[in-house]
Amino acid sequence: MLASFDSHLFWAALSSGPYWRGALLALEVTAASLATAIVIGFFVALGNFSPRRWVRSVAWIYNWLFRATPTLLQLFIIWYALPQLWTGFAGSWFTPFMAAWIALSLNEGAYMSEIIRAGLLSVDPGQELAGRALGMKRRQILRRVVVPQAVRIAIPPTGNEFITLLKLTSLASIISLHEILTSAQELAVVKFQYPEPLLAALLYYLAIVSVLMVLQSRLERRFTWSSHRGRGRRIQAPAVPAISHDAR
Amino acid sequence: MSALRAHDIVKWYGDLEVLRGVTFEVEPGQVKCIIGPSGSGKSTLLRILASLETPERGTVTLEDRAPGPGEVGMVFQRFNLFNNMSALDNVMCGLVEVRGLKKAAAREQATAFLERVGLADHASKFPDELSGGQQQRVAIARALVMKPKAMLFDEATSALDIELVREVLDVMEALARDGMTMVVVTHEMRFAQHVASSVLMMDEGRIVEEAPPDEFFSSPKEERTQRFLALVE
Repeated sequence: MLASFDSHLFWAALSSGPYWRGALLALEVTAASLATAIVIGFFVALGNFSPRRWVRSVAWIYNWLFRATPTLLQLFIIWYALPQLWTGFAGSWFTPFMAAWIALSLNEGAYMSEIIRAGLLSVDPGQELAGRALGMKRRQILRRVVVPQAVRIAIPPTGNEFITLLKLTSLASIISLHEILTSAQELAVVKFQYPEPLLAALLYYLAIVSVLMVLQSRLERRFTWSSHRGRGRRIQAPAVPAISHDAR
Repeated sequence: MSALRAHDIVKWYGDLEVLRGVTFEVEPGQVKCIIGPSGSGKSTLLRILASLETPERGTVTLEDRAPGPGEVGMVFQRFNLFNNMSALDNVMCGLVEVRGLKKAAAREQATAFLERVGLADHASKFPDELSGGQQQRVAIARALVMKPKAMLFDEATSALDIELVREVLDVMEALARDGMTMVVVTHEMRFAQHVASSVLMMDEGRIVEEAPPDEFFSSPKEERTQRFLALVE
């Protein structure tokens, strides 16, 4: 039986400044980290295909390092250990936001590289051959032909990564990043009442992810090559092996 | 002066010697058909002529110099259109990326070439909305728009449903009539008979026999050619 549910407290939490700012901060960290991770992941993915052995080794070690260790530990190392190892990171510029951005970008870069690698591999090599027969350079073929098609394959798993990252930002509450969970905890402690603040936080995550899902399906349609784009039928992207996020 | 010439080509794939010193040339305006069993090195020879692979030994020359980008056009068995581009964009791509043309000029030329292969109405369609025959005709237009000095066809009709073969062969025949220099790897013996200036038989990385089509099909000299023709006819 419900002992007590203070709907005033719930609505107050939902519309409070700290929640809004916390949500915005979580979104900023997520978007910045994902964007950086896509850039890192692209080059690491290309590194996997390099004819040079040392380049492939670097790519492999990077993936191994960041996927085999807990994200929370990586966050701790960046926030607590790095400034002690390297005084350049002890300055006032090194905020919890910066630490979370760096840690999550490096972590996510490893996962993105696998997604991008699968996307690049999904493009039929015959198209590259045709591009070369026309006299196109490798760069041009990559930019005009391979990458756009790889993007189509990479969008759904990247959407998953966005969601995962958004949830991982809650880890950064531990390094005093004022995201949603921090706001919820602070409110709960002050009021000594947990259900309303936590339920409000939950709704924030649901709302953000819902908006994201709509954006994702629009983006997928944008990368569907059909003259009646998105109308009538949907072309299914080939399945990409799922990458497990258990225990990140 | 020969249009396209391969001199003493040797190619290895690992331990396998796919081409064992092949010398071969096409005069301007000639159509040479290459036939032979699979694994005989026909496709590899074509890829080397198109500069898609580098031989271990030997040289390829176009009008006595190294071929430039897009100067030797290639049409593949599986079409290999760019799936993220419309038919028109497929044909424009080389003009914009390789020849450095402005979009408007490239579009104009590409449209003309699509018209030439009978696909002007399908310019805005994407590869997966076109039949195999239509895709292959777009692929031919994509190569032609680069104004190649020679065109190579690697079993261009082998992946097509039987009723779609004709439309592609028609385009190829029209091209031959217009005086295009062509090297055609094919299983279409009737095409070889009617269109080729000469027919070559390849086996185990060598050219076994070369003759004008009448002679080649009616009285092949080599025993290997006789056996192969008996099998395919």
